[in-house]
Amino acid sequence: MLQYFIRRLLFAVPTFFGCTIIVFFIVNLAPGGPYEQQVQALKAGSGFGIGSESSAASKDGAATIPPTALAELKRYYGFDKPVYVRYLIWLGLWPRETDSYNVKLGEPRNVGQGQYVIVERNANGSYSIIDKDSKQSLTGVWTAENSVLDSTGITQLRVFKTEYAGILTGHFGNSYEYREPVIDLIASRIPISLQFGVIGLVLSYVICVYLGIQKALRHGSTFDLISSSSILISYSIPGWALGLLLLVLLGGGSFFDVFPLGGLQSREYETLSLGEKILDRAHHFVLPVIASTIQSFATLTLLMKNSLLENLSQDYIRTAFAKGLKEKRIIWLHAMRNSVIPIAANIGHIIGIAFVGSFFIETTFNIEGIGKLSYYAILSRDYTVVFAFTVIGVMVNLFGAIISDFVLAMIDPRIRFR
Amino acid sequence: MSQTSQKSGSQSIGQRRWKKFKTIKRGYYSLILLTILYGLSFLLPILVNDKALIVRYNGQYSFPAFTSLVASFPLVDQFVSVFQSGESLGQTGNPGQARYRDLQQQYEQENSDNFVVMPLYPYGPIEDITTDGNTAFMEPWSASDGEGSRIMGTDENGRDVFARMAYGFKVSISFALILVFLEYLIGIPIGGLLGFKSGWYDLIGQRFIEMWSTLPILFLIIIVVSFIQPSFILLVLLLALTAWIPITTYIRAEFYREKSKDYVAAAISIGVPTWKIMFKHILPNSLVPIITNFPFAVVAGITSLVALDFLGFGLPPPTPSWGQMLSSGLQNLTKWWLVFSPMFALFATLIMIVFIGEAIREAFDPKTFSRLR
Repeated sequence: MLQYFIRRLLFAVPTFFGCTIIVFFIVNLAPGGPYEQQVQALKAGSGFGIGSESSAASKDGAATIPPTALAELKRYYGFDKPVYVRYLIWLGLWPRETDSYNVKLGEPRNVGQGQYVIVERNANGSYSIIDKDSKQSLTGVWTAENSVLDSTGITQLRVFKTEYAGILTGHFGNSYEYREPVIDLIASRIPISLQFGVIGLVLSYVICVYLGIQKALRHGSTFDLISSSSILISYSIPGWALGLLLLVLLGGGSFFDVFPLGGLQSREYETLSLGEKILDRAHHFVLPVIASTIQSFATLTLLMKNSLLENLSQDYIRTAFAKGLKEKRIIWLHAMRNSVIPIAANIGHIIGIAFVGSFFIETTFNIEGIGKLSYYAILSRDYTVVFAFTVIGVMVNLFGAIISDFVLAMIDPRIRFR
Repeated sequence: MSQTSQKSGSQSIGQRRWKKFKTIKRGYYSLILLTILYGLSFLLPILVNDKALIVRYNGQYSFPAFTSLVASFPLVDQFVSVFQSGESLGQTGNPGQARYRDLQQQYEQENSDNFVVMPLYPYGPIEDITTDGNTAFMEPWSASDGEGSRIMGTDENGRDVFARMAYGFKVSISFALILVFLEYLIGIPIGGLLGFKSGWYDLIGQRFIEMWSTLPILFLIIIVVSFIQPSFILLVLLLALTAWIPITTYIRAEFYREKSKDYVAAAISIGVPTWKIMFKHILPNSLVPIITNFPFAVVAGITSLVALDFLGFGLPPPTPSWGQMLSSGLQNLTKWWLVFSPMFALFATLIMIVFIGEAIREAFDPKTFSRLR
């Protein structure tokens, strides 16, 4: 058994790399990335700003950007390197350049914190870097490189530090859009998504398990038929679409003004007392929670019902009845224990659904959670954020499946994974 | 008497399943209704359109709605022009596309031999505020001067909501059907191969599938769509990229089970080629899970198209689509009909398909539970 899980974990490694490679390459090869967006912004900006001076230089109305600036911008976003190098840098298996400074040969250059370096060319064409004051060699700390900037052959000498920093070392980089570490950005949104995600998860399990049991026990009754219809209805409508319908009906636009139109809290939230705060939050939660619960409602309920029904028709239940056990005891102690197995095994899958599903629900209800953050990251090509979400998404999927298996093995001693 | 029993005895399993399917009324009637509606949806250009069925002008007849019916089929549309200028029909000062509803009123006032016959519902899905008489946010059942009422009002661009809803039906169902067809086309051979060959094939194939199914496909579609103008076909292909995986899983499990049976061993021993065993012998015995899955795959196809359109990464505007209608409803929450109409259409369609699916499952894979007490 242990061997099985170790093997599963080992198999997850190539899957993880395969996935991230595919996403990384597709995203990087897609035009319109942050570098191109920045160039566009610069062109538009300098066209208005400098105006008459630069208009002579450009014939098509757009201002020309000096090649050095372009090259530096490209380097800032890391686009001066081939895609596979960028992937390795992102992983943390290739040195990442930090603290880059342009220098002139033999002239001291301030590289921060009062330190001055001098770059000299050696006889064999390599560069040596010396601290101006102590005359110590800094070649191990700093690297010098003379790069060609454009087709005209202009070169630029610069020094930079390198470090191995990537997702394998826990470095997710900074968001281009928000200018703050991706980790902080995601961490600040997680509580919001988790709040209604967990409430939805718990609610759907409680309701579905209870309803499934009742349906199984009263199989074929009017109650069973009526609830089956409501299950079919909930299956036929995506959660976010139902949320939209509820917004129109109850959001105060056209019909009833019962619930707020979206968001997480009222404008005067900060001034409220604790009790009012909780009420306010709950008031805002009702519709999104309904919408997110409905997504797994049908599958879970039917899973519970069918599994209990199947167990009730087994021989061991017949035996239990035959030896005169009470019905309650048979159902709750004997049949139930076997019936919750598939439900429990579904948990890894549901975690995944909760993650993807919140994408739509947060957009519909205008909740500033993880789903919305990832949505806008894609829209604005905030690559570091998109990749961070890819990693999270892949991990949730992979571990969701493993967790499901693990739970299954824990609660059902008959199951042997090999 | 004996004849009937003989007859039922000679019925194939397919016939028996069909018979069983017919006894489940809501599934059976849903299938009939949905088939009729989908068939009718191909005639939409002559049922719901702003182009006239028949125009008689100075003794000349023309049939613009029928032209647009022909043009509504792919490939043919390259060769047909639906344009008919207003001036050529006596609509002075309108060199652009003729406005047939105005023309109808004009001819009636002139009291000449000229006449226009409009389709049943004389509004098109694409004509917007730029056409005279269309106003944004018309309420349901309201009408502009001298025109028939708009069953479901108009949207923020003055486009008729009912017409868009009706055309959206055809788009959604066609999209889902093509998508499911592609899913099966990819999923069945791969699943069959994995299940039949097993061993190393299976191990590597499974890892590949695991990787593929872990891909955040929604991310990728949005990224691809943001730099390539999406077309109907491109969207189908993008969604099909990962949608085949469940089919593969079903088929793999079936093949895995079937291959150990005697008839396969017999076929192998008399030297039947592998591909023939797979597709002629095992496949027909493995179809139950994918047939019962079919309606639910269609539901999934429709929902994903609606979701993509809702986010604005679906079919290019002004293609009539339910998801786009829902998103314009979200932006104008006070205009309730914008959400109600596509929601009704989506819901009615999906629930009919779910009814069909439920009936098919009942007919193909009946589960009987015996219970004490």
